[in-house]
Amino acid sequence: MTMLHAIREVQIPLLAAMLFGGCAAKVLQMIRAGSAGEHIGPTALFPMHLRRPLAIVLCLVEGGLGVGLLLTAGRFGRNNPADGIRLASCLLFVVATCALIELRQSRPDVGCGCFGDFSTSPVNSRTLARSALLAIASLSTIMLRPITWPRTTAGALGLLAILGAEVLLIGVLSPEVGEGLIRLGYTEPCELRNVPAARTLAVLRRSKHWRRYSGLITSEVPEDVWRELCWRFVVYPARYQDRQTDVVFAVFLQHRRPVVHVALVDSSTGAPLEWPAGKQRTRWPGRAALLGATRSLSPAFNAAEARPAPADLPLSTDL
Amino acid sequence: MRGAHIACCDRCASLTGSSRGTAASSPDHGSAGATASATMVARRRLLKAAVFRPQAEAGPGGNGADAAGLAPDDTGSQTSGFANIFQLPRSVAGTILDVSPHVLILGDGSREQRFALTPEAVAWCGGQLEPAALIQGDRAIVRLHPFGRNVADRIWANIGRVTGVITERSGNQLLVDEGATRETQVITLRPRSLGRIQVRFPTLEPGYLVDIIGIRRRDELIGMIPATSQPAYPAQRLPAPPLISGHVPNSITGSATWHEPRDEPAGILGVSYPALDPETGCAEDLAGGMRQGYSRMPFLAIGSVLRVRNDCTGSSCRIPVTGCTPVGRLFNDRCVTCGTSPRGRVADLTLASFIALGGELERGCFNATITIGE
Repeated sequence: MTMLHAIREVQIPLLAAMLFGGCAAKVLQMIRAGSAGEHIGPTALFPMHLRRPLAIVLCLVEGGLGVGLLLTAGRFGRNNPADGIRLASCLLFVVATCALIELRQSRPDVGCGCFGDFSTSPVNSRTLARSALLAIASLSTIMLRPITWPRTTAGALGLLAILGAEVLLIGVLSPEVGEGLIRLGYTEPCELRNVPAARTLAVLRRSKHWRRYSGLITSEVPEDVWRELCWRFVVYPARYQDRQTDVVFAVFLQHRRPVVHVALVDSSTGAPLEWPAGKQRTRWPGRAALLGATRSLSPAFNAAEARPAPADLPLSTDL
Repeated sequence: MRGAHIACCDRCASLTGSSRGTAASSPDHGSAGATASATMVARRRLLKAAVFRPQAEAGPGGNGADAAGLAPDDTGSQTSGFANIFQLPRSVAGTILDVSPHVLILGDGSREQRFALTPEAVAWCGGQLEPAALIQGDRAIVRLHPFGRNVADRIWANIGRVTGVITERSGNQLLVDEGATRETQVITLRPRSLGRIQVRFPTLEPGYLVDIIGIRRRDELIGMIPATSQPAYPAQRLPAPPLISGHVPNSITGSATWHEPRDEPAGILGVSYPALDPETGCAEDLAGGMRQGYSRMPFLAIGSVLRVRNDCTGSSCRIPVTGCTPVGRLFNDRCVTCGTSPRGRVADLTLASFIALGGELERGCFNATITIGE
C-alpha cells in the first residue's frame, strides 16, 4: 500500500464522520430549539419560505451521504454506486465552499451553520479552507478500490497516524473547536460578571477601610454607586472639620478579600483632602438595613441632587 | 469659548445652565437633563481620579492605581482632560431658512446662522443632491469644515433613523419599539425602497429587528436605506452570546452606529453603551426586559469615558457614556463601511459624536475601536 493510497483510504471514514456530525448537530438543534438552523449558514441566502425546507433537505443529504460513504466503502456497491456517492459528496462540499464565499460577502455576520448552532461565528478563511479541504478529500476518493483492513500492525499505525494528522488539521480549521474548548473551562471575567451592589456594600462594610473612616460618614445610604469594569465606586456624604465632604470607596469586584481604595474629597470642589489623624469608628446597622439602603438608591444616580463640579466636561449642547 | 479644561471636541456644556453654543438645535429641549448628565459625568470622573491618586498623594487607604491593576492614565486624571481634537468636524442643526449654491442660512427659533458652502459641499435628502436643491423648512444637520467655523461641507436634510423591534406590520407601515422611554416609531416603506431594504432586512415581521435610515415626515420615517443588516433571529430568541475567556481586552473593535436625539440635546457629545451595569438599570430597557443582549461587553456606568476611534478615517475622540442602548445590544450585525467589523455594535453615538468622528450619517455605521479606561 502506497502512502497516497493510504491517505485516500482514510478520507472515507473521515468524510462520513464530518457529514454525520453536521447532520446530528442539525437534528439536535431541531429537537432542542425547534429550528432547523435555517437562519444560519447558506440557507440564509434564500427567501424566507425556502429556508426551512432547504435546511431539512441539507440535513437529510448529509446524513444520506454519510451512510452511503460507509456502506460503499467496502466490496458492497463498489465501482459505480460508490463513485456516485463520492462524487455527490465532492459536489456537496464544492457547492458548500462556493455558498460560503457568497455568504461571507453578502451576510458577513452569519455563521456557516455547518454544525447547526455550534457554528455561529461568522464565516472566515478557516471555515472556507475546511470546506475546500473536504471537497478535495472527497475528490481523492473517486475511483478508489474497496477499503480493506490493514494486514500488518505497522500499516494500521500508519493509517491511524494519517487520520490523526488530518483530524488535527480539520480541528485547526474549525472555529467550533475553539469555542467548545472555551465553554469547557470557562470562568467569566470580572468585567462581565454581574455583581449585586448589595454584595459590594456588604464586602465594603467588612473592610478595614470602612472601620477606619466610617466615623466621618453622615448617611447610611450611599450618595452614588457606579461601576466601571471590575471596580464599583461607592460615595458616602461625610463631614470633616465642619465642611461637607465625601468619602469615596473603590471596591474591586471579587469574592474574597477585595482590594479597597478610599479617598476623602471636598463636596463642592471634588478636590482630595488629607485624612484626619486617628481612627474614626462607629456602629452601623446590619445586613437588613444595608439591603434596604441599597434598594433605596435610585436606579440611576439622581442627577438633580448632584452638586456642580468644576470639571472638564465632555458634553456639549452647542449644536 | 475654549476654557482651560478642554473637553472632547472643545464643546463644553455649561454647568450652570448658561447657554453658550452656536445652538441651532432647540436649546430648551433636554437641557436640564444634559446639565444633570454633565454634572454626573464630571463628578464621577473627579471622584474616580481622587480615589486612584498616585501612591505619593494617596491617603492611608490608597495603594495607587498601579496596584489596582489600572494603567496610570486609567485613573482619569482631571488635569489630563479629554483629547484635543480641535480638528475634528463639528456639526450644527437647524431649520433651513434659505439656501443658495454658496450660502446656507439655518435658523433655530429667533436666531439665524449663515454658512458658506464649499464647492465640494453635497447634501443628502433621501439621496445625494446639490445643496441648492434643498427646500426651505427642511430640518438640516450641517457638518462644518474642520478649519472654518462657518463653512459647511456636508448637509443632511430631514434624516432620521429607527432602530428597534417590529411590533406590528400593517401594509407598508411598520410599528417599531425602540425602548421603554421612547415612543413607538412608524416606518413607511415605499415600493421603490422596499426592495433595497429587504436585501438587508428580509424579514419585516413582528418580533424581528429593524434598523432603517430615511426621511422624517412629522411622526413617521419614510424608510430609504437599510442601516445595517438584519440579525437572522427574532429579538426574543437571541442566540447564546460567544464566551470570552481570560481578561477582557481594553480595546474592542466593532461597529459604531448613531441614533436620533429624541430625549437628549442634539449637540450632546456622548455615546450610548450596550452594557451598563445591570444594578443601575438601563432606563431605556425594552418593555420586554431583555437585560442581556448578544453583545458581551465589560460593564460600565454613565460617566465612564471611552476613546472611540473611527477605523475608517483614523479619527478618535474621548467620549463619555451618556446612555445605554438596549436595542443595540440585541444586534449581532457587522459594519462593512471599511472591511467587515469583527463584532457587532460596541457604541451607539449621538449625532454630534458620529459626525465629529467622521461618520457619514446615511451609511449608518463605521468600523470602530473603543478603548475603555483611558
